[in-house]
Amino acid sequence: MKKHILSIDDEADIRELLQEALGMRGYRVSATGDTETAKKIIKEDPPQLVIMDFQIEEGDGFIMIQEVKKLAPETPIILLTGAVFDKQVVRETILKTVNSYLDKTASLAEIIAEIQRLLGDPVDAS
Amino acid sequence: MKDNIETRVIGLFVVVVAILIYVTVTSVNNIKRSIATADWVNHTHDVILQADAVLSSLHAGDASLRTFLMTGDRRDQAAYRSAYAEMVEHLEQAKALTLHGEESVAIHSQFLQLEKLIKDRIDFTKTVVQAREQNGIDGARDLLAAHPDVEEIGRIQRSTSSVINQEKSFLRERDQDARAQALSTKWIVSMGLMVNFVLLGFVSWLMRDDLAARRKAAMALEEANAQLEIKVQQRTAELVASNTNLKKENLEKKWSNQALDHQLRYSQLIINSIDELIFVISKALNVSRINPAVLRVSGWEPTEIIAQPLDRIIQLPGGEGEAATTMMGAMREGREIQNRAANLVCKGGEPVAILFSLIPLHDQDKVVGGVVTVKLAQRAARA
Repeated sequence: MKKHILSIDDEADIRELLQEALGMRGYRVSATGDTETAKKIIKEDPPQLVIMDFQIEEGDGFIMIQEVKKLAPETPIILLTGAVFDKQVVRETILKTVNSYLDKTASLAEIIAEIQRLLGDPVDAS
Repeated sequence: MKDNIETRVIGLFVVVVAILIYVTVTSVNNIKRSIATADWVNHTHDVILQADAVLSSLHAGDASLRTFLMTGDRRDQAAYRSAYAEMVEHLEQAKALTLHGEESVAIHSQFLQLEKLIKDRIDFTKTVVQAREQNGIDGARDLLAAHPDVEEIGRIQRSTSSVINQEKSFLRERDQDARAQALSTKWIVSMGLMVNFVLLGFVSWLMRDDLAARRKAAMALEEANAQLEIKVQQRTAELVASNTNLKKENLEKKWSNQALDHQLRYSQLIINSIDELIFVISKALNVSRINPAVLRVSGWEPTEIIAQPLDRIIQLPGGEGEAATTMMGAMREGREIQNRAANLVCKGGEPVAILFSLIPLHDQDKVVGGVVTVKLAQRAARA
């Protein structure tokens, strides 16, 4: 059965690209830009992983992280954001709330490798 | 090679069929001739039987005649008459049987001669019977003594025997012909079949050879196809992998572009939200970019400032050219200027007191331009 990944991002381009890239690697991807739909998906079809930005429509990413953790405490969360944080800030603050932090300037291959690592899947050779 | 074998096989089949047709036609003709010969043999036997019957009737009639001449008994008279009538009847049948046909002409002629002899005999018999009836047995005896009939009967016998012998001779000839014909048919059929079997054997050999070659070719083709299939599968797998890689690369490029775009927009948002006036300048102090605060404070439109010298807008108290000299020097040395008092010339011409900072932009070891930030002096003082 395909593993389910939920992508929460306010940018449609990001959602589509992630869906396509992860779909090619055999994942089932749900994508949304608003928090309510995201919560509904988590309740009805719990994902194995959540990728999210902290800038989302009609909501705040940091609050949404707490809600996701409440709804699916075991589900790993990747924070994928265009807002560049200082490495020390990431280490001391961000990684205490999410499982992984990735900058949107990271390559797709790096993002997918991180997803595969968190899901316990073999990481792409490339 | 293939065409050559096909031509040979077809040619041999044509020969086989021609031989079969020849054998069949010859056999049918020989069978027809045999049937005709059988008819002729039956006909000849009929002629011989009729000739034999003529002779038998003659002897029977002669015997009954002699008995009648001695006894005068009417039953004997009826018997010879009956025998003679049968004799005439058999003679007529023999004549009729020999009426047609090339070989029958001579026989028919002999039967006509025999008919004359028989007629003479019947005439003599009538004379003898008349003498017997008129002068009794002595009268008949005298007549027989005067005209001995032995010679006459002998001629009839010889003539009849001649006919029978001739017909038997014909029968022997026909028998020999029929045997020769049967042998010929047997030889033709045997030879035809033998030749055909040989030809069919040769055809089978050719076809077997051809089939073996075709089988070999088919196997080679099958092997080539299998290898081609493997190559196609390998190539397809390579293409699929290549296509997947291309898709991945394409996605990666899209991702990079959108990430870059996102970063630019995000940076732009940050810059645009800053309340200070920001000027990005070239090494020659020409303005290349401004933030919206510039328009908000000075009233200058970007199109009026971009590509214009910064000292047109920011002026130092030292007079015209001072600002340019100061900033050029800092740029050349890669040195920052912090919170230097100056005037901002607004679009309407009125000066506004400001504090400006210049931060040269370093790209590796070179200064490629600079960023000038402007704070209103009044606001700065309040802060």
